[in-house]
Amino acid sequence: MSLVAAEVSLFLGDGDQRVTALDRVSLQVGPAELLAVAGPSGAGKSSLLAVCGGLRQPTSGRISVGDTVISDLEPEALTRVRRERLGFVFQQSNLVPSLTALDQLLLMVHLRGRRPAAQDRKRALELLGEVDMSHRIDRRPDQLSGGERQRVGIARAFMSQPQLLLLDEPTSMLDHTRGRQIIELLVRSCHEHDVAALMVTHDHGMLDIADRIVYIHDGKLTATPADSLPPLQQS
Amino acid sequence: MFIAIRDLKFAKGRFLLMGLVIALVALLVTLLGGLSAGLIKNNISALMTFPASHIAFEYDDQPNYRNSMVDREMWSGWSGYPGVRSVQPLGHTMFSSRSNRDEPLEIVLWGIEPGSFLEPEVTAGDQLGGIDNGVIISSTLVDKGLNIGDTITLDRVLTELKVIGISGDANIAHVPIVFASLRKWQEATYGPPGGPEPGEKLPAVLFDFASVIALQLDDGVDIQTIDEDLGTVTMTVEDSYRASTGYIEELYSVTAIQAFLVIISAVVIGAFFTIWTIQRTQEIGLVKALGASNAYLLKDAIAQAAILLLVSTTIGVLVGYLFGRLWVMPSGIPFMLEMNTVLLSAVILMATGLVGGILSIHMITRIDPIIALGRER
Repeated sequence: MSLVAAEVSLFLGDGDQRVTALDRVSLQVGPAELLAVAGPSGAGKSSLLAVCGGLRQPTSGRISVGDTVISDLEPEALTRVRRERLGFVFQQSNLVPSLTALDQLLLMVHLRGRRPAAQDRKRALELLGEVDMSHRIDRRPDQLSGGERQRVGIARAFMSQPQLLLLDEPTSMLDHTRGRQIIELLVRSCHEHDVAALMVTHDHGMLDIADRIVYIHDGKLTATPADSLPPLQQS
Repeated sequence: MFIAIRDLKFAKGRFLLMGLVIALVALLVTLLGGLSAGLIKNNISALMTFPASHIAFEYDDQPNYRNSMVDREMWSGWSGYPGVRSVQPLGHTMFSSRSNRDEPLEIVLWGIEPGSFLEPEVTAGDQLGGIDNGVIISSTLVDKGLNIGDTITLDRVLTELKVIGISGDANIAHVPIVFASLRKWQEATYGPPGGPEPGEKLPAVLFDFASVIALQLDDGVDIQTIDEDLGTVTMTVEDSYRASTGYIEELYSVTAIQAFLVIISAVVIGAFFTIWTIQRTQEIGLVKALGASNAYLLKDAIAQAAILLLVSTTIGVLVGYLFGRLWVMPSGIPFMLEMNTVLLSAVILMATGLVGGILSIHMITRIDPIIALGRER
């Protein structure tokens, strides 16, 4: 398994302010599989992504990525795990404003303390080709459309050959058609690169494309949507 | 420096503006440095090239050239001690005077033994020792129109002096020096107005006095004991700068302005990088989430500050240097730029600026990568 979360709980705040963000959540994602976690705002989606992505330590429970348990690592070791094992696609400010599309990918090489070699450049160009961005490699984020920015973000997520992708509402800034295209691209890329992906979304219209779906409500995972109301189409 | 360089290009406008401010501060600091060195040189150029190691004044709480008076017992006393290589009495009196063209001249008359180590080398004309009333003048008097063959008449005593030689730049308390023989100085300072009548012999006691004693001392001479024995107070020539009128005040005020400029510049740089880092918060959170360590981001941002400082300080100092050389110096304003003092102030400016920058940049370490995630809880 690429990602295993076992009985993970996360409490935020202290005393009266204490909130249960995640309540004994368990899940597994295998290679070449995209698991979508759907739920309304405030259900705990970001918290789930934060603990699985090594951005926050859970209060209890155990999370492993590949053969590494990350739920008890020190911040520095977690940073290293994020750098070397994980890929991220965020919903907003996904790219560094001053870097061109190509540089966004090469930054990942720099973060590992290396200068990009010819093969890194080749890989970056290939990945940008896969997301159909070959013609815009020298554009900065402010010169790209929302969909193009997400494509570059996806190419970057694969740059350091991660074991696990974490996708934070990757379509929230896009219209329905573009959003679907992005999710289809993500699923296809995960299959091609044999990478596991955990995607959180409140957009139920995209769920049919995912390999598997679970729902989150009040910090608990369920197999079906928690409320009987028809899912809200938010944008 | 991967992000740093691209940020510099991306946010050109902001960095150009900040660079301009730093460059202007560097320019001001350079010009002030030149002005301060120029003022000091204009004040005490005679002491800066003074061929002695120490000066002995008459004992006083605040010894100074104007009021000091020493006698023969003191200077012959000094020659008796081991480690004292040379001893020369020096007379110092300020006179208002007139040239033969009736131009008023403020001068300081220095009385020295002709041929002694105190006699300056002339760049034109003759050394002392020829005619009795011959004098060597500071080149700063040449700038005021005086030349070899001219005469200077001292106002009160009506002593007439004849210019026979020109030395280098020799000022004290901003006043140009006229070098006369010690004897002529003693006559002018202690003798009757108008000089002795023909055939009149001045009392020998007049010739037992001078103002200070110039000393060439070896290391390790017990100055304090000798001073107590002879009633003198002795200091190095450098320490005697402050015994020249106005020196301390000028030095402190210009140095204070420079220090303020350096501090202001550091604070402005600190403020700039505080705002810049706050503007970059989202971006830094993102890059941290992608796995950038604090060390990586700090190095990157500090390199950026260093580039900004290096480039703008260099430009500012260069412009200041050229401006000073080509415009301020020819205008006659006391101004002197030396490469090492210019470099020193540039280094101080960059170092304090970098400290200001680093203090602000340090807040990078407090940014939580969790902000890269959407706003939920």
